[in-house]
Amino acid sequence: MPVVLIRTLPHDSYLHRRNPTVKFGVVFAISATLLAVFDPWTPALLYCLALGGVRIAGRIPWRSLIVAHVPFLLFGSSLFMVNAIARRGQVVWSWGPLDATGEGITVGASLALRTMVIGVAAIGFVLTTDGTRLMTSLHQHLRVSPRFTYAVLAGYRLLEQLPEEWQTIRMAQAVREERHRPGSLPRSPRALARAAFGLLVTALRRGERMAVALETRGLGSGARTIYRPVPLDRGDWLFASTVLAGFAMVLVTAWLFGWLRGPSALGVF
Amino acid sequence: MRSDAPPKADLDGVIVDDLTVRFPRAGRDALSGIDLHLPPGERVLLLGPSGSGKSTLLRVLAGVVPHSIHASVTGRVIVAGRHAASTPVPELSDRVATMTQSPADQLCLPAVLDELAFPLENRRVPPEKIGPRIVKTLRAVGAGHLIRRRTAELSGGEGQKVALAAALSPDPQVVLLDEPTAHLDSRGVTQVGNAIAADGRSRRTMVLVEHRLDELPWLPERVLILDAGGSVAVEGITAEVLHSHGPALASDGVWLPYETELELATGLTEPADQAEALSRTVGRRPPSTPGEVIRRAETATVFRDGAATVTGVDLELRRGQVTAIIGPNGSGKTTLLLGLAGLLPATGVTGGTVGMVFQNPEHQFLTRSARDEIRYGHASFPAVDEALARFDLDGLGDADPFRLSGGQQRRLSLAVMALQDRDVLLADEPTFGQDRNTTQAVASALTEIAGTGRAVAVATHDLRLVARIADRVVVLDRGQVRLNGDTERILRSSDLLDAVGLSLPPLLRWLLRSAPEVQLRDLVTGLDEMVCPSC
Repeated sequence: MPVVLIRTLPHDSYLHRRNPTVKFGVVFAISATLLAVFDPWTPALLYCLALGGVRIAGRIPWRSLIVAHVPFLLFGSSLFMVNAIARRGQVVWSWGPLDATGEGITVGASLALRTMVIGVAAIGFVLTTDGTRLMTSLHQHLRVSPRFTYAVLAGYRLLEQLPEEWQTIRMAQAVREERHRPGSLPRSPRALARAAFGLLVTALRRGERMAVALETRGLGSGARTIYRPVPLDRGDWLFASTVLAGFAMVLVTAWLFGWLRGPSALGVF
Repeated sequence: MRSDAPPKADLDGVIVDDLTVRFPRAGRDALSGIDLHLPPGERVLLLGPSGSGKSTLLRVLAGVVPHSIHASVTGRVIVAGRHAASTPVPELSDRVATMTQSPADQLCLPAVLDELAFPLENRRVPPEKIGPRIVKTLRAVGAGHLIRRRTAELSGGEGQKVALAAALSPDPQVVLLDEPTAHLDSRGVTQVGNAIAADGRSRRTMVLVEHRLDELPWLPERVLILDAGGSVAVEGITAEVLHSHGPALASDGVWLPYETELELATGLTEPADQAEALSRTVGRRPPSTPGEVIRRAETATVFRDGAATVTGVDLELRRGQVTAIIGPNGSGKTTLLLGLAGLLPATGVTGGTVGMVFQNPEHQFLTRSARDEIRYGHASFPAVDEALARFDLDGLGDADPFRLSGGQQRRLSLAVMALQDRDVLLADEPTFGQDRNTTQAVASALTEIAGTGRAVAVATHDLRLVARIADRVVVLDRGQVRLNGDTERILRSSDLLDAVGLSLPPLLRWLLRSAPEVQLRDLVTGLDEMVCPSC
């Protein structure tokens, strides 16, 4: 099965042009604040706004948006189900031995919707942010060491090559078995562990050689210039303040309507 | 620690005095008592058998040993006016550039543009000057058209040209090249060779480790040869040294230019005499009688990731026959082998049990000792030590396969498959990056395996190997078979090979021209035996 790494979409958009560090900060601030919200209505409202915002400001095609949603949907729905049946409270629905409680459904829906908000924000970030630009910006604007940022980029290169290498190693080892079945690869834990060891050895060797390559091209010789600096201007501050202000307004509205609930909704505090 | 300033005249050169290197837990010195003086602009070719310390010497010159890879280093090493032992690698890299074998190991960033800007940024080149310098350097190595590409999409040859450009763009005084063409097909070698040659006009000091001497358009004027113990065996003018030390080098497993080989084999200097002597002395092998077909592809299709990557293949693997599958990079050779092996989904492939030797031996090891590798799946295998000895691995039974040298790993992976009782043996690039001795060992092993009544198929770029061992040749291009026939016929159809972008190596071209009436297989086998009778 081909493994698809999520790639930046190559087109241009308002979100594409925003400073990566600022975008990252906004996503982080929203995600961190949401950790304290436990009602379903606030994240539901935020999700609708975020989805529309990302779709329009990032000009992201529906298809890419939907595909990228899959992991968050899976994670969110499992959170919902586990909470719905595992939380104590008033039983509102039974199916065989499983009882869903009202409290469980509320908290589960909140956690699931929170996952979707963070998910759509992360999708908007990843699909509109070039990795190299992000690393350059982190170095330029947050003073992150280039040793770190270039190690991350080299690590990404290494990662890109791993799926193919994994497939090759599994085939190379399968053919050693006296009775390998044509067209299928062994899936026993032992066979997978051996392939993983082979992958580890080759990845470590390659990582070491890449580290040496970065050093012999002068990484770490002190101050460096930046060929294509990432701009940070008023547009970025305008973007950050608009998004965060909108976010705050949603929270205030939800509070005024009496929807907003904190961790007390869990009933453990 | 010495702190004396180097002589001013040698600021751009290399001075190595009495250099000795020993890695931790190693039983012997990797390099011992090395002296090397290169005035600015001098270029030297570094030769020696596997494990003689060629790469270690380059790493000492780049400062990687001992700064990044720990080792005890004694002696004096001054590179472009700096003491390598006391200057950190990134600082030394201001004046010294390094290029290694594989694009996968040295291209670390997502885009070609980033890759080339990176060394310039590290050397604090003003941003407005970086763009023009990138363009200039890429053009100089013939890679101007690659500027907008992503590194992951480059072919091997393109990747190495970008790596060379990245090494040269800061305009270093000293360039260290460690087998820059080892992983390339013949077209890639020519591309990179020309790029290096184009830079040869500049006044850079250069140390080149390379074993594909025939395919480079140009060789450094001087040569330094290391012996198996890591000491200098001989140093001097390249042409003279290769001539005077040829036999010793050949028996050490060092590849030589074909002109030198012909001289060694025949003891004559005139090409016409050499050709006459060679065709007179080489043995003539009668054509082998083809055995029964054991595995067959009938309008076969091989799928990779759901796509039909190789299509419409008709071919027969017969007992006792060696079939070579050749074609340019990306033509589908490996995919076809994997389809024939039943490892990728394929239609139209039938018959026989199949074993396969992969390009990278490390991908195939399952245990932690050479002995267990041989015994894997045959717990009762009787004569492990004899088997190891047959593949020149005596005494390595307890060694960890992952810690063997490249040549030893190759022989072990071949031994493992050869000893299994499969009807068909497939091998993917079995001689890639190997020295002369291992290449000869692989050639004889594959011939012997076919001799025991099995069918052998080899995917390879190495047309000299093809000429020596193959009975049949299948030429692939863009996933389809273009030619399929007798080896002699195919290798003699140079215009057909040209059409798919393959070219014969200089030795084969010379043999075809000079001794057209003798079979290539007999000539190459004879030449190999005459150059090194003990190999």
